[in-house]
Amino acid sequence: MLVKDFMTRHPVMVPPTTPAAEAQQVMRENKIRHLPVVGDGKRLEGLITRERLRVSPTDLGSLNVWEITRFLANMTVKDMMLKGKDVITTAPDVTLEDAAQIMAQKKIGCLVVLEQGVVVGIITETDMLVELNHMLGGDVSGVRVTIRVPDRIGEFAKVFGAISSRGWGIYASGSVPTPKHPGYWDVVVKVRGVPKDDLVAVLEKIEDHEIVDAREC
Amino acid sequence: MAETIPPWADEAAPVLKLEDLAVAYKVRGGEIEAVQNVSFEIKRGETHGIVGESGCGKSTVAWAVVNFLGNNGYVKRGSIKFQGRELVGVVGEELRQLRGDQIAMVYQDPMQALNPSMRLGDQMKEVLTVHRGISQREAETHCIEMLERVYMPDAANVMKRFPHQISGGQQQRVVIAMALLNNPALLIMDEPTTALDVTVEAAVLDLIAKLRREFDTAIMYITHNLGVVARVSSRVGVMYAGEMVERATVEAIYKNPRHPYTQGLIRCVPKLGADKAGSVLYPIRGRVPPPDSRPVGCVFGPRCDYFRDRCREERPDLRQVSPGSWVRCHFAEEIDPAQWTPSEDIIPPRISAAEVPAEPILQVRDLKKYYEVQGGSLKDMVGLGEKRYVKAVENANFDIPKGRTLGIVGESGCGKSTLVKTIIGLESSTSGEAEFLGLDITGDISSRSEQLIQELQMVFQNPDSTMNPSYTVGQQIGRPMQRFGTVPKGQIRDEVIKLLQAMRLGENYYDRLPRQLSGGEKQRVGIARALASHPDLVLCDEPVSALDVSVQAAILNLLLEIQQEYGTTMIFIAHDLSVVRFFSDYVGVMYLGQMMEIGPAEAIYSPPYHPYTEALLSAVPIPDPSVEQKHIRLAGAVPSAIAPPSGCRFHTRCPRRELMPDGGKLCETDVPPWLEIGEEHRIFCHLPLETLNSFEAVVTKPGEVTQHAS
Repeated sequence: MLVKDFMTRHPVMVPPTTPAAEAQQVMRENKIRHLPVVGDGKRLEGLITRERLRVSPTDLGSLNVWEITRFLANMTVKDMMLKGKDVITTAPDVTLEDAAQIMAQKKIGCLVVLEQGVVVGIITETDMLVELNHMLGGDVSGVRVTIRVPDRIGEFAKVFGAISSRGWGIYASGSVPTPKHPGYWDVVVKVRGVPKDDLVAVLEKIEDHEIVDAREC
Repeated sequence: MAETIPPWADEAAPVLKLEDLAVAYKVRGGEIEAVQNVSFEIKRGETHGIVGESGCGKSTVAWAVVNFLGNNGYVKRGSIKFQGRELVGVVGEELRQLRGDQIAMVYQDPMQALNPSMRLGDQMKEVLTVHRGISQREAETHCIEMLERVYMPDAANVMKRFPHQISGGQQQRVVIAMALLNNPALLIMDEPTTALDVTVEAAVLDLIAKLRREFDTAIMYITHNLGVVARVSSRVGVMYAGEMVERATVEAIYKNPRHPYTQGLIRCVPKLGADKAGSVLYPIRGRVPPPDSRPVGCVFGPRCDYFRDRCREERPDLRQVSPGSWVRCHFAEEIDPAQWTPSEDIIPPRISAAEVPAEPILQVRDLKKYYEVQGGSLKDMVGLGEKRYVKAVENANFDIPKGRTLGIVGESGCGKSTLVKTIIGLESSTSGEAEFLGLDITGDISSRSEQLIQELQMVFQNPDSTMNPSYTVGQQIGRPMQRFGTVPKGQIRDEVIKLLQAMRLGENYYDRLPRQLSGGEKQRVGIARALASHPDLVLCDEPVSALDVSVQAAILNLLLEIQQEYGTTMIFIAHDLSVVRFFSDYVGVMYLGQMMEIGPAEAIYSPPYHPYTEALLSAVPIPDPSVEQKHIRLAGAVPSAIAPPSGCRFHTRCPRRELMPDGGKLCETDVPPWLEIGEEHRIFCHLPLETLNSFEAVVTKPGEVTQHAS
């Protein structure tokens, strides 16, 4: 679960001399929101986001129609981009959670992935959400059960042991400290090809465990 | 076998998108549209194959993408979009940057892509130091890493060598590694394995598939070989005369070809399927029209079996006939390839196996051909050094009955051609016996009588270089007749015309010069010339490997027909195992000068195999994605023939050696015995017959039961 496994390799990139209008079109055509700007040898020079391409009406307020056209035509990516040193980047070997933390803290939508100054990929919010979905088995149908367990060593193993002792396989699982309930963890498991009631019956037998939610999805 | 399309491929915008592309070349007196109306797209992580015969515009499309069209070529219409950006019209610095950083190319001949006067390491490092400004030392480690990723043995050492010091397959690996150094988003490969041996080709194709997954690179793969496309790509576009005539997933193309040209192509490649009936070839009549004289209507019309009036007047559009399947044909829905019957002029001759064993016409016993190698030391110069030899042919033993064909297969450098040269007398043999019709033919041509020379004739691989460019076709064919006096002088012209007609060339070819002929026609003239003196034995050295598949099928059928009519005996050399199967009664497999297995054609292609034959069969690309093929790859390169491995020459690379007791010690020390399998089938191997019999068939079609030879 490292950045290099989940980033998009060969992201769409443009040189700094690209006209802003073209960059806007490239982003629209590729359905992307972040566009790294690179110089020779794919070295990072900046980043264009949708917000960066927004021209404020006050800039244009004093211009007439003809001047607006010329103003827009002369504008290049270099003028509008977030400059190189301000772009927040990461490396291929960083863990996914570290990358997520940086993005959450800085409130940014993407991290450009660099290897020796060369752009090798990009990882975005969307990539993270897709992975969260995969991690919890959102892409397959089955029974999804949330179990609240005490914060003690060996409690997870009870859940997994109970399921596997019946010969069922866990397709996906995740766990978080229960919000607002210190001393407890919520464990989510997804099991395929099992009747919901059978699974619940097995899990209910474990002492101190509470089934918070069970559903087929 | 075929690569599946990755699940995310549909979501993202394509890496490369061509729309309605037309490329024109300015020539004297106007311009020629080499490519017209080509549209396709390649998604990330996908390999898109482009197939077609030579002159169909495949390479022009690739050059247009990177703007390598030369001074007189330009994109006339349409657009080429790379990651949503228009490439047409991009020039100068921006183009240079794109070519270096984002798009890389690998060409057919690795020797031409590498600078012969620079060390490989320096050439590779240049890519990084120039494009990325990386320091020499960092570049060095980077390059070695990349060489290791393409499975180059001893990578650090290879960096210090010059291109001529490594083998062809290794050169191609260096070129691929170089292309990947800058981690391109798009890789264009133009016939990257065509110049390589089948075993090396298989390894390179495995490598390409692996790299595509690992680097997530989009690949545009150009080839003429339908088998190779089936192995590497997920989608295929078929090009004909500058147009894309069909585009579909690889499964659909082979299972359900919609366009008559695609159907024709598939019918004219020999398949290494489970039965011999699958290797009957039906050529496509006619040839690809040159770009300046394409028909007004459908470009394939003149060669199509379903030609109608509408095809003559109206050029069909590329239209979607089912999801993901695009065809340029007015009547694609009506055409059912299963209903197709060959028209009379292309029905292949029936191969009738003569029941009665014929008298052997050629008997070869322990034939050896060694070449002396001149050493470089002073001692060698004055002749005191130990003499060293290239053992090109070692102990060849075989008979050929009259009227039959012996096929010889093997990798390059295995001694196939030397064997043939020794028989025909271009080289004298070192030792052993060879008798042709009772006459000794161990000496070279100067020791042979004219009559003997007349009885042995040869068809060469490259028809271009074997014909005198300033002699007319008639003169070339007539010359052997005149020389050997087989035909009275006054009748030579009639006789030549008769031969031309047998080759399906009209009388009007008599006065043409070689440059006025196409490749296939030249090869027909070459065959006619070989037959002109009514020889008893014709030696064919790769007669079809330089030709397009549709022409290849016609030439093979022609050779078969001639054999039936004249009762000629043939030795047929080829590196393509599927061609040999179709053509030969007997097949010999050679490795490093040594015959490894010899026997009736059918016996060679089913177990028991020699381990080398098994490896060769598993490397052949098969133009049918549904066929299952065992995965056996030979490690390393062919050892040097100057010092061949002791014992069994194949032991250094043999994948089956571990089946021997002691891990195959015996293979290293002792020359293997000839195992008689029965009915003239012999295998040169230490492994006991029971073990050889237990091998499963290499090529199986799902649903068919694997057959074991008893």
